[in-house]
Amino acid sequence: MSDFMNYLILGVTRGSMYALIALGYTLVYGVLQLINFAHSEVFMSGAFGSFLVVHAVVGDGSSTSGVEAVLVLGLGLVSGALTGAVIAYVLERVAYRPLRKRGAPKLAFLISAIGASFLLSQLFGKLFNRLGNNRFPSYFNADRTLFHVFGARVTLLQVIIVVAALLLMLFLDRLVSGTKLGRGIRATAEDAPTAALMGVDIDRTISRTFIIGGALAGAAGFLFGTAFVFSNTMGFIPGIKAFAAAVLGGIGNIRGAMIGGLLLGIAENLIPTAPWTGTAWIGIQWTDVVAFVILILILVFRPTGILGERLGRAA
Amino acid sequence: MNRRVSLPPAVTRLMACLGGSVVLAMMVGRQQGSQQDYGLAFRESVLDVRIIGFLLLGVLAFLVITYREVVTPYVRRPGVRPLVVAVLVLVAAFFLMKWYDPLGDGKFGTLADAVAQTSGILPLAHVFFGWLWWVALIGLPVGTFVAIAIRNRRLAWIMAGLSVVLAVLTLVVHARSVAFAGGVDHSFGATTAFIGFLILAGAGVVAARSQEETAKTRAFVEQVMAYRPGLPLIVLGILLGLLALVLATWLAPRGDNLTLVDTSSLFSGSGLDGLATAVLGWLAYVLFAVVAVLGAAAVWLRSRALGWATAAAAALSILAVLYTLYAITDLAADQGYGTGTGPWQNLGTGGWVLCIALFTVGAGGAVAALQFQGRRGPEGSSDGVAGRLHDAGRSTTIRSLALFGIGLALFYPPTASGFWQQSLSTTIGVYVLLAIGLNVVIGWAGLLDLGFIAFYAIGSYTTAYLTNSLPVKPPSWLALSPLWAIPIAIAVCLLAGVLLGAPTLRLRGDYLAIVTLGFGEIIRIIAVNNPGNFTNGPRGVSDPVPHPVIDLGFVRFEWGGTSLQYWYLLLVLLAIVIVLFYRLEGSRLGRAWAAIREDEVAAQASGVNTTRVKLMAFAIGASTSGLAGVFFGSQVGFFNPQNFVLNNSILIVAYVVFGGMGSLIGAIAGAAALTWLPDFLRDQVPAEDRTMWIGAVLLIMMIFRPQGLIPARRREAELTGLAGHDIAARPSVQAIPASEGV
Repeated sequence: MSDFMNYLILGVTRGSMYALIALGYTLVYGVLQLINFAHSEVFMSGAFGSFLVVHAVVGDGSSTSGVEAVLVLGLGLVSGALTGAVIAYVLERVAYRPLRKRGAPKLAFLISAIGASFLLSQLFGKLFNRLGNNRFPSYFNADRTLFHVFGARVTLLQVIIVVAALLLMLFLDRLVSGTKLGRGIRATAEDAPTAALMGVDIDRTISRTFIIGGALAGAAGFLFGTAFVFSNTMGFIPGIKAFAAAVLGGIGNIRGAMIGGLLLGIAENLIPTAPWTGTAWIGIQWTDVVAFVILILILVFRPTGILGERLGRAA
Repeated sequence: MNRRVSLPPAVTRLMACLGGSVVLAMMVGRQQGSQQDYGLAFRESVLDVRIIGFLLLGVLAFLVITYREVVTPYVRRPGVRPLVVAVLVLVAAFFLMKWYDPLGDGKFGTLADAVAQTSGILPLAHVFFGWLWWVALIGLPVGTFVAIAIRNRRLAWIMAGLSVVLAVLTLVVHARSVAFAGGVDHSFGATTAFIGFLILAGAGVVAARSQEETAKTRAFVEQVMAYRPGLPLIVLGILLGLLALVLATWLAPRGDNLTLVDTSSLFSGSGLDGLATAVLGWLAYVLFAVVAVLGAAAVWLRSRALGWATAAAAALSILAVLYTLYAITDLAADQGYGTGTGPWQNLGTGGWVLCIALFTVGAGGAVAALQFQGRRGPEGSSDGVAGRLHDAGRSTTIRSLALFGIGLALFYPPTASGFWQQSLSTTIGVYVLLAIGLNVVIGWAGLLDLGFIAFYAIGSYTTAYLTNSLPVKPPSWLALSPLWAIPIAIAVCLLAGVLLGAPTLRLRGDYLAIVTLGFGEIIRIIAVNNPGNFTNGPRGVSDPVPHPVIDLGFVRFEWGGTSLQYWYLLLVLLAIVIVLFYRLEGSRLGRAWAAIREDEVAAQASGVNTTRVKLMAFAIGASTSGLAGVFFGSQVGFFNPQNFVLNNSILIVAYVVFGGMGSLIGAIAGAAALTWLPDFLRDQVPAEDRTMWIGAVLLIMMIFRPQGLIPARRREAELTGLAGHDIAARPSVQAIPASEGV
């Protein structure tokens, strides 16, 4: 049982980060009907941006008190979100808007996004470094056990990640369903030309959508970097997984992305290790295969994802 | 919405330009910092004096964009475009290219310093590297520009003449300096500068000769091509041929460079057989002259029969030249002259260039013959004489370029360096084949496949299994040579394509993308995880995959001596695939693909079995990929799962879209260009930065030319409308791209 809970907790932690990234994919898909392939680099830039700020504030982190640590955590989250937002905004202006203006075929967006992704990832590698083991300074004891659930320990960091992710998702949900900007986003997703006729500034709405998605991904980058290591190529795998999560939940659907992310995180941690059987079942090296097989099966039997495509247009 | 704080557009634009120049500064700046100091590279590339130069560049771009209305009439003047191209080429030659490999970073400045300190070198070299280059680099473009701006024909002629002189001087001085210094040199710098000066001269000539107010570059090219179809090819071929006959090296057995005349005297009385002696002595000149005269006559008289005669004569001549090359190298190796151990060694470029020249002239004849068959009326609008002329010019241009490309593909690789031969046959050729296959899936059927590399992996591993190279051995009756593995690998990939496609093809675009992506990853992870010890895991195949063999009893040929042999095998495979696919595009199936790509519902309503047609696209694409897998596996011998990562799948998609979706030539060109680029950049930018520059190229290409290098006609029509009007003039309300079949 404690093994099961251990993997479940791991899955929820990872899944909530996937969900944060997946929201960016799903938002952009909702308004533009295209896959923002460079989103994973927005995530990566969030880690670097927040690292620079955190590093400047706490140094190596040995002399940080508890209250300061909380503040620094908030600061890291905000700076990561800001970096992500800026990068996503520039990305939209440079790689997407010119193509939109000339009515380029959809695949051209994909290719320009791939180009931007290569450029960003390598530029960050060139500017900072290309090592795979950059770490945030340890300014608080991330591994401290907070409490136990059925014998599985839950660390401080895991709680921070899940709580932060949930807060951000709640905030986004309110934003999209309750504010004027949210209404604009939903209207654009529903039918852009008509929304334009109703007085929605399409360009501005799209731009803001990118900014919101970028901020979430940047925050996720900070959380991911704090939990593991960060590098200029860190975006690739989580990006793919988050994209899969977005599709799983029904791309274009915000709540779908949240559920898809959590489900994917839990499933890929629980199934390959099968902790309820006691022995290793097929082994952890099949994690990715399990994730993709689940995805394929769900899509074959429910081709529009778990919750369907509510935000976006059907077909 | 809330308060609007919108800046005036000019300010935004200026900020964008300055931001772009800062990014450029970072891209060419210092290489990475360390974990102690993350900001090192950033500071050294941005907080430095040279940032001013980049910012000025940004301001310049801003000015050009802002005052476009003022600038445009000047830019449209005849000759300005070639002038700009020439300046770019020259600047690239100076900043980016290597001039001399053995020396440090090999850039122009380094070579110039070295020349300045060397005595005994050609005096002209001191002058050239000392100040003449600088004067020319700045003076000639400025002079040409002044000539264009004040419309002074005499000045334009003078500038053109001076440019030609400088072009020749660059080549000569560089060649003499390199010869003086010795050492192996494959640098492109001087050649690039040579081309740059020639383009500059062209700009001068255009400015001097033009009667027009504004330049119509494309119309001009098409007019030239339509004037006497095939003529440009004939002229090019004759120039190349003269070069090959008079100047080029034919044989270089001991580091000495023997021209055709030298080779002829070397082999006089050495027991060389009659035909080869005759070719060396006089027949080469005669054959070339006959072909050239025939070609010129065919083109000028617009005679179909003469055109085909030219092509036939050229083919015969090429055979004669090839035989001669074989005979002389074989004899040289037999008699121990030079270092050769067998035929085809120690050859210079001369024979091959003559072959290219003959092929080009023959191609010119063929183009002329095809053109005057008169049946080809390209689809699309051809209203009036001007329209027909336009279409004729266009199709002739494409045909000429394609034929010249074939000539180069056949006869250029033997003269290339070993590195490029290997790159051609392992990377460029294989990815061209893959791109052709993916073009069926993405370009024709409109299905976004992000896991294409999986079929390539399946093909490679199938080959390895069939040739006894995996830990699991096939039954002995099934162990085959790679050539016999081709049909089986194709069948396996076909099956895999159908198995993946059958349940998933009813998914819509983006879902299909992620499912195929997942499939690609699953295949790769299976190869890594090695279930049942089938794939031998991350180490790759356990024994080398053998080289293919043709054994007909009386004649036996085994590949594997050089990359060249594989290159020609690949050419044969490519030719077969291209011809098949070319036929396929216009077939019932091809039209069905186009129909479901444009509108699936309408296609279904018109009786197209969409699922089956999509499955066919998947299966055909997959089998091409399997073919590539066989070729790749047997050529490299060893491969491992690292060859099949997701990035490669994405890159192939990029090749197809970059080249122009749905266009066969486009896919070939896109894959060739983008696989050539990293190998080319290897010499020019730090190795770690290659991916970054490729990303930048993709991005810029998509921003300025989203339809790709050579777009398919049908696609182009979708984008621009049949009349081919400006696509930028669309209402900005249309924020969403018109949904396309993807």
